Amino acid sequence: MSNLLALEGVRAGYGQTRALHGVSLSVGEGDIVALLGANGAGKTTTLRAVTGGVRWEGSIHFAGRSLSRMSTESVVRLGIAHVPEGRGIITQLTVDENLRLGAYLRRDRQGVRADYERVFDYFPILRERRELSAGALSGGEQQMLALARALLMRPRLLLLDEPSLGLAPLVVRSLFEIIRTINEKEGVAVLLVEQNARIALELSSHAYVLEVGRVAVEGPSAQLKEEESVRRSYLGY
Amino acid sequence: MQDFLQQVVSGIATGGIFASLALALVLIYNAMGLVNFAQGEMAMLATFTALSLIQRGVDYWIALPVTLVLAFVGGVVIQRVVIRPVERAPVLTLVIVTLGLATLINGLAGFLFGYVPRSFPSPFSVQTVSILGAFASYQDLGVIVVSAIVLVLMYVLLQRTPIGLAMRAAAHQPEASRLLGIRVSWMLALGWGLASAVGAVSGIMAAPALLLEPNMMQTVIIYAFAAAVLGGIESPLGAVLGGLIVGVTVNLAGAYVPGVGGDLQLAVAFAIIIAVLVLKPNGLMGRGSVRRA
Repeated sequence: MSNLLALEGVRAGYGQTRALHGVSLSVGEGDIVALLGANGAGKTTTLRAVTGGVRWEGSIHFAGRSLSRMSTESVVRLGIAHVPEGRGIITQLTVDENLRLGAYLRRDRQGVRADYERVFDYFPILRERRELSAGALSGGEQQMLALARALLMRPRLLLLDEPSLGLAPLVVRSLFEIIRTINEKEGVAVLLVEQNARIALELSSHAYVLEVGRVAVEGPSAQLKEEESVRRSYLGY
Repeated sequence: MQDFLQQVVSGIATGGIFASLALALVLIYNAMGLVNFAQGEMAMLATFTALSLIQRGVDYWIALPVTLVLAFVGGVVIQRVVIRPVERAPVLTLVIVTLGLATLINGLAGFLFGYVPRSFPSPFSVQTVSILGAFASYQDLGVIVVSAIVLVLMYVLLQRTPIGLAMRAAAHQPEASRLLGIRVSWMLALGWGLASAVGAVSGIMAAPALLLEPNMMQTVIIYAFAAAVLGGIESPLGAVLGGLIVGVTVNLAGAYVPGVGGDLQLAVAFAIIIAVLVLKPNGLMGRGSVRRA
């Protein structure tokens, strides 16, 4: 099976501090892959390396293309939507303006219009809130907006950085249901960074556990979920 | 009453000039969190460019758009060459860079064109026309119309086009914008270009009354600063509103408050602005940012 995204021996850091010491992982077409680990393990940095938000060495390929030395703007144009830590909502703009920015790169007007309808089917609340300032949305609604905006980019790969952060359990549940539906219906591959290991392992088919900048454990999610030792030492539940 | 209306119309014309320059300041403030201290000097240099064209026999109405295009290109070049290398520097560095730029352009204009004030042609006659019983000069009305057209065009560009939306996004949240595929660095350059062009309009509109010389915009930019702050520094609409208020206030104070004229006009304008800011610290259109974690 060919990989959509493949990282090999990726090292990256901020200034003098190394955050990644050779991370290798891959995401297949249409897969949901979870990236787990404690705070500071390098999960966010891994995603940032993919979209060029941090300098890195090693190799990263997307759909067979090397992402080496590419700017964030160019990587995104290849079909990667990255919902960053903190969601990346532009709070000074309205909900609708945020959504329109999702379709900023697209030239197919009719496709965009159809996608708007689809996105509003997933997140009806956004239709109601369309004219509101995005800063006035609740945390859950902002996460929905971030997801909706990412979908409007028509990505082949979705990078999600802790979508559950700061949300009530019930909201997290429904959000993850939607992520699953999106993956199944649209065939979008997902690389999911999460602290909430339990729910991430339920959703994903494969998982990697990072520990201080390295992959400590990897395997099918179902298997990781069952292994007592892995659960205890890395996942904390 | 007639006289009052006349003063108001003339104040709106002055206000249009302040508003254009204030809008230029706001555009750049939004893009880099700092006012561009060289904005007035850039406008002055553009005005000299327009004068050079006109003196070479170019029609005013051709010289005007040509100058605006040149000013736009100049603004983009300045951002690329001077500002971009220090983009990530501390704010104080940027302050010094724009102040240096102001001094440089001022000196350059003095060197190229000299310090003797020159008369600048106006396409509008100084004759007056009666509107609702008040007399307004064609000059003032012309300035109002030209400023209004420019401001409306800017509004449409920023609020109603995808590129305007991308510019606003890039100014507010560069990191998040990059992830949406917006070329943030070019959006900032575009912002400098637009600010430079809008500022040029203000210089060209001000020149017939003020006479053109390298220091022409130095008072104007102080009023424009005041207008931008009054409107709430981040709001383009606020800048326009602030410009009009400052223009009308200064004119009325000069006409009706005994002893106010010349330098004191500036003081009166500021007194009113301070009073407004005490009541509304974020300015008239400024909003305290709404944010959630």
